[in-house]
Amino acid sequence: MTIRLSGVGIVSDMIHLQIYRYDPEKGGEPTMQSFEVPLTKPGMKLLDALNHIKWNLDGTLTYRRSCGEGVCGSDGMNINGVNGLACITPIAGLKQPIKIRPLPSMGVIRDLVVDMEHFFDQYRSIRPWLQSETPVPEHERLQTPEDRAEIDGSYECVLCGCCTTSCPSWWWNGDRFLGPAALLQADRWIRDSRDEMAGERLDQLEDAFKLYRCHQIMNCMECCPKDLNPTKAIDHIKRTLLARKS
Amino acid sequence: MVIRKDTGTAHNGLSDWYWQRLSAVLLLVTLPLPFLLLWGVYSGALNQFALLDLLDHFLSRLFHTLLIIAIVVHAYIGLKTILEDYVHPPMLRVLLIGTMLVAMATAGIWWLALVWAWGG
Ligand code: SF4
Ligand code: SF4
Ligand code: FES
Repeated sequence: MTIRLSGVGIVSDMIHLQIYRYDPEKGGEPTMQSFEVPLTKPGMKLLDALNHIKWNLDGTLTYRRSCGEGVCGSDGMNINGVNGLACITPIAGLKQPIKIRPLPSMGVIRDLVVDMEHFFDQYRSIRPWLQSETPVPEHERLQTPEDRAEIDGSYECVLCGCCTTSCPSWWWNGDRFLGPAALLQADRWIRDSRDEMAGERLDQLEDAFKLYRCHQIMNCMECCPKDLNPTKAIDHIKRTLLARKS
Repeated sequence: MVIRKDTGTAHNGLSDWYWQRLSAVLLLVTLPLPFLLLWGVYSGALNQFALLDLLDHFLSRLFHTLLIIAIVVHAYIGLKTILEDYVHPPMLRVLLIGTMLVAMATAGIWWLALVWAWGG
């Protein structure tokens, strides 16, 4: 893919995309629609191509996005079979036509927008906030640099859902299995030195379905756009449970 | 799919996970032994009487027992997990897992009876 400057302006290669289209209100079957988008700049990201389509070719294409730089977690989608964030996925290196589908196993609201309700319900169920009984200190709850380092690799999660929706165990038992994203955050609070409810948190998780459905298939770790490792976190929860029992 | 009506935590799963791993380690140690015997037979190092002597030995029976327990436990938990994954109606699941437990326990006990020559 090259970009050449000619006398009349930028002449660029075209990017070929096939995008999942579905509007439940209209009914019918979902279809894959082909688009061609010019490659306009080096390092162009997939979200740039989607924006080009929405703004220039077809305004009805529907997808979520906000920050455009991998922070808000809203543009998780299935890109050539692998979940990822469109805004930080470079076009270069993607096999064309680039096939874009909504996150797998999710109810589609429209095109690439899926229903995240249950995902966030599960997140809420692990009580993702600091729980502590000691009185609030005058200034702030302090941590040593070592304690702080404990939550490296988990606080960075942007809750995009790429991991959870790529987990086969969650596909089969998502009604009960909490999935990698929620469990990574459960582990984050278990590890946090300022949180005083680790015992209660572990009690909540000790369940053949909520936690132990993870069979270490590692899809979650493979696809996480923030390079996090939920499998390791889940293993840490299991080991902590084992340690308190033996 | 809403879990606001959560039925709580069953406080199970840890022991399955623990026994699955423990039995895996046991299998790692004991499973190569029968293959060693096979190799002994086919390489000609063991004749029939030597093989029987070896199998009769108390230590062999002990290892054989460990092997049987490890296989039954490991296979039971593995298959139970698969049933839990794929069979969703609770009653059917309980029935299948129960049937499997009885069948596998029977097979295990029968095998142990052969190894220790119970009843004769
Ligand atoms: S762990 Fe990674 S893939 Fe999963 S929700 Fe967080 S950022 Fe997304
Ligand atoms: S490692 Fe566990 S949580 Fe991650 S994809 Fe596999 S089964 Fe799912
Ligand atoms: S748009 Fe915010 S993460 Fe991609």
